[in-house]
Amino acid sequence: MELRSRIRELFQKGEIGSLIGYGRGTLPLSARPIFITEGGVDQLIFDITCGVNLAKYLLRKKPIAGQKVGIICKGCDGRAIIQYLTEGQLNREDVYIIGISCPGMIDPNRVREKVRGRVVTNYQMNGEEITLSGDGFQLTLPREDLLSRSCLRCRYPSPPIYDTFIGSPKDRVEIQDEYRSVAEIESLPAAERWNYFQSEFGRCIRCYACRNSCPFCYCDVCFVDQTNPQWFGKGVELTDTIIFHLVRALHTAGRCVDCGSCERACPMGIKLTLLSKRMEREVRERFDYIPGLSVEETPPMAAYREDDPQEFIQ
Amino acid sequence: MRKLLKKDLPRLIEWLKTSYLLYGPTEYGFAPIADHTPELITPIRPPKGIFFPQYQVLFRYDGKVPKSKGIGLFGVRPCDAKGLLILNRIFTQGPYRDNYWQDQYQSGIIIGIGCNQPQPTCFCHWFGIGPFGKEGCDLFLTDIGDGFLIEAVSKKGEDLISSFDPLLPPTDQDLKRRDEIVARAEAQLKDGIDPKLIKERLDNLWESPIWGELAERCLSCALCTYLCPTCHCFDIQDEEKARVRIWDSCLFPLFTQEASGHNPRPEIRDRLRQRIMHKFNYLYLQYKEAGCVGCGRCVIFCPVNLDLRELMRRILDEG
Repeated sequence: MELRSRIRELFQKGEIGSLIGYGRGTLPLSARPIFITEGGVDQLIFDITCGVNLAKYLLRKKPIAGQKVGIICKGCDGRAIIQYLTEGQLNREDVYIIGISCPGMIDPNRVREKVRGRVVTNYQMNGEEITLSGDGFQLTLPREDLLSRSCLRCRYPSPPIYDTFIGSPKDRVEIQDEYRSVAEIESLPAAERWNYFQSEFGRCIRCYACRNSCPFCYCDVCFVDQTNPQWFGKGVELTDTIIFHLVRALHTAGRCVDCGSCERACPMGIKLTLLSKRMEREVRERFDYIPGLSVEETPPMAAYREDDPQEFIQ
Repeated sequence: MRKLLKKDLPRLIEWLKTSYLLYGPTEYGFAPIADHTPELITPIRPPKGIFFPQYQVLFRYDGKVPKSKGIGLFGVRPCDAKGLLILNRIFTQGPYRDNYWQDQYQSGIIIGIGCNQPQPTCFCHWFGIGPFGKEGCDLFLTDIGDGFLIEAVSKKGEDLISSFDPLLPPTDQDLKRRDEIVARAEAQLKDGIDPKLIKERLDNLWESPIWGELAERCLSCALCTYLCPTCHCFDIQDEEKARVRIWDSCLFPLFTQEASGHNPRPEIRDRLRQRIMHKFNYLYLQYKEAGCVGCGRCVIFCPVNLDLRELMRRILDEG
């Protein structure tokens, strides 16, 4: 496998001292983040199950004895790293970015929705179709039915910056209707929109799997955990859960790279990226900014330009 | 032992609804059964929140007292019924008695159903439950194809079912079919681990590197805690007109944050160890049973595949 031989080479040449990558999980269709040194190279895998955004682990992993931390980067992991660099969270020289082209990642919630209680023990990709099989069943579905919604509208399958690349980088993908899910909701009358948000966010159990798997939720103390003052209720009353999700969407606006980790992590299958996508469009339209593409560009929330739209100042 | 034909299930449901506020399984959790017969699936959320709500008003300053009717839970899996029993022990048989829990749980009724088809993530047999474990149920149903065998497990269950007419005596054929189903399901759950051994091994693992290794990957969210049928830690808060209790999780840093600013469990490592120690060591020490029922929810839903079964095997190897 090219992945393993290339990584072994990087260890041997001393380019990296440790690596954040993916290993096989214990469930069918699951992978897990792994943290290895040279001895662990044979555990490495990369396929459509490697959805977890690894960039966040870089904030925990520091170089040991001056040796860089290597990290396997899909497009969204790489973009999260760029965003970290613009936010002053990482030193570029501490990290060794190993780019890899992303085929799109499956969303376990969408798989569960399709197989309804049956257990998948194997899967096979045939072009645009994925065949899931298990005890007494076989289900062939178009990949759109199983992939993360974020992956289906992703323009950047490869990281914009890297130190080495496994395989060859994929070009930017032209996506016409990446804000379709947002537009669909916006086209509804207010009462229906509210019903929709109630049924989605009313399921939230405040486990914070979304927040904790989000590369950009790295605040030392999240606003929901502040106690003096405590800004709002910590239970599962709808107003409280919705405030949590709205403020999180605002706080990650202009930063979120739509990796979809939040949505895949949610045990209740809440369509969380609807909010973040809405904010992404807002930032793009108003500030002509797409997060995680350039280290040089200052994020709009950290910059002031005279021609910023500011019609709210009368 | 009696038999209920499947066509009579809606009648049983309607009949139960005359005495209880009846909840049944839905995809996301247990919910009041409205006008349809529930699909007997295993919900994402266990039923603990019905008796121990994630957000519960303890009392109100304006004098209004929240009141509730007896709750019936229909279609509870053996692991979940056992989970409620463990919570009942913790809330009522330890040094303190929790009236809120006691009132709800003891006025309720639990109608369990066996698992003809255990999942690969099920490990209830480690804890002596198994796919047809009846502990914690008042009535227990076994799906034998054309109907359900109904067994009264408690006196409350017997009293209730003895006045429901449309039940038939099961035939020998029905019983034979039941035995086959049970045997087939039980054969699927193999390679158990003794929770007593886990408890003993954990006695020596306080300083083990295991915790640090797991913490590398753990996101420190509360997904596992909140989907767990036996996790029961809570916080109490004062709101505008009421004092409420809400679920809390030992995996949150805030759980042990002290007013001084000091946190005795500052690292994910410390908090993960607490969760495992509490479930498999401290609770075992108190009640001779672990705080786990092997439902597999944490295994299935953990975003970073922290598999409890793998951890248990590791603990046995290392201790």
